[in-house]
Amino acid sequence: MDRWFLIAATLLAAVAGLRGLLILRHGNRSHWTVFWMIAVMACQMGYLAVRGEMRGACPLRSIAEISVFLSWSLTLFYLLVGPVYRISLLGVFTAPVVVIFQGFALLPGRLVANPEKVLNTSFWGETHSAMSVLAYGALALAAVAGVMFLVLDRQLKEHHLKGGLFRNLPPVPELLVSLERLLWLGMALLTVGVVAGVLMPLGKGAMGHLIAAIGVWVGYVILMVTKRVRGMTGRRFALGAVALFVLSLGVFAFV
Amino acid sequence: MEFVCLGVNHKTAPVEVRERFAVGTNQLGEAAQHLLEMAGVPEGVVVSTCNRTEFYFAADDTALALGRLECSLAEKVHGHEEPFYRYEKADAARHLCKVVSGLDSMLLGETEIFGQVKQAYQAAHAAGATGSILNRLFQKVFSIGKKVRTQTSIQEGSTSIGNVAVELAEKIFGHLKNSEVMVLGAGEMSRLTAQALVSRGAKSIIVANRTHERAIELAEEMGGRAVRFDNWLEELKKVDVIISSTGAPHTIIHRSEVESLRRARKFRPLFMIDIAVPRDIEHSVGEIEEVYLYDIDALEQLAEEAKIRRVNQIIECEKIIEAELLKIIPTKDFQ
Repeated sequence: MDRWFLIAATLLAAVAGLRGLLILRHGNRSHWTVFWMIAVMACQMGYLAVRGEMRGACPLRSIAEISVFLSWSLTLFYLLVGPVYRISLLGVFTAPVVVIFQGFALLPGRLVANPEKVLNTSFWGETHSAMSVLAYGALALAAVAGVMFLVLDRQLKEHHLKGGLFRNLPPVPELLVSLERLLWLGMALLTVGVVAGVLMPLGKGAMGHLIAAIGVWVGYVILMVTKRVRGMTGRRFALGAVALFVLSLGVFAFV
Repeated sequence: MEFVCLGVNHKTAPVEVRERFAVGTNQLGEAAQHLLEMAGVPEGVVVSTCNRTEFYFAADDTALALGRLECSLAEKVHGHEEPFYRYEKADAARHLCKVVSGLDSMLLGETEIFGQVKQAYQAAHAAGATGSILNRLFQKVFSIGKKVRTQTSIQEGSTSIGNVAVELAEKIFGHLKNSEVMVLGAGEMSRLTAQALVSRGAKSIIVANRTHERAIELAEEMGGRAVRFDNWLEELKKVDVIISSTGAPHTIIHRSEVESLRRARKFRPLFMIDIAVPRDIEHSVGEIEEVYLYDIDALEQLAEEAKIRRVNQIIECEKIIEAELLKIIPTKDFQ
């Protein structure tokens, strides 16, 4: 059942992204993306409920589960931020990322059909996992906003101003302000996650993971402080957000 | 009763003829009542803008009404070639649809005309010069006009250099209320571009010109302040947009100068518009990350592309108009 929920969520996200792109090709903006993403969210919640029941804990015990939880968190932040700040096209850029994360989890052998029940859970351990993955949802959405800025910046620099993409992308300040707010939010959640990680009982191999988490946190702190104190071009700030997110994913895939 | 239009516009009459027919916005109601008397008809609306004056009315005997009206207007065209065009029945409705959709405007797809026609209709309605025929027709035409504008790209893109600059500035800075604009060189082109930015809410204007008195004049005209030409670099720290159109035979803004101020500007975006020929801004300034540099060719090309896009939309617009007119006009009258 959990797999079917996940397949439905992935298909709905693919439809949201493809439909948005097709409409964009005709120079317009889809006003329905947010509704498609609400449907994605509903299916993700279904998956999490079933999977959580199977695990008897927050389903964050394998790379596939983490990847689905991350895409749920990304969708959640999109639904919180996108419509409120009216950042057009954020959904069209977010949907493919959701498809990639969930598609990865759906690869054969990734999501075991009958996962083991978790018997010993620790409060700090659960807090660490949940807060960290929530933080990565916000940081992933920041990276999406960063990519949108980089696309717009390139179009403005190279005078490629034809077509629906340029017309429908939000202005530069809107993208940079949302990027910064999402990074602050992600960092706050990540701080809670890292502190909980320090307090949780460390199992075998957990130290390396914790050091990697602290390293990522320090990376984001440097980016934000440099932006605030010294100032930074929009391009470097956006590139920093995208690079740090990709790097942190890479680190956690291998550490 | 049939629907008729008699008019003069920028295609049929020069400005010295058009101005004789012009009606002030607050006299449109009176003009509509006068139209009823002149043509001896029960319903009429007068539309008057800088590019056209058109008399729309409903009459039983269209030939008689047109004859009376032309007779009344004859003295205004004295000494000039016949400037009038006439449309009846479906052709008149079709013409009005094209007018409100901006298809008959000098600047294809312009949006102002829609409001101007609406204002003319409301004035005539308030003056009691409209009845069931014109009320129904004008309401339908307004909804067709809206449909044309929302379902096609006829009003998309900017077709003048000033508007292209505004569109770009709004993409770079969002709204312009926090943006400071500096004008280097007080030529006509830079004045027009700066004016377009001010009209969209730019926070302040700084003018620098080799002849300081001219800078003061332009600054006063636009509600800004003038600075000595030698001090423009000092002002660059604060501004967000630079419009440069000096007559200098060489570049006056160099990469090294802009780079030296990046830190002080905290790497904020800088939109540079170089409309001078020869160019005022060194080409490599555009390679600085936060600088968006556009020269006259780039701006003209963007304006031209928008014009072409609008021209390509005409057939689409006409299809919508024809389809909608078919719904309100009896087939026998539809040509």
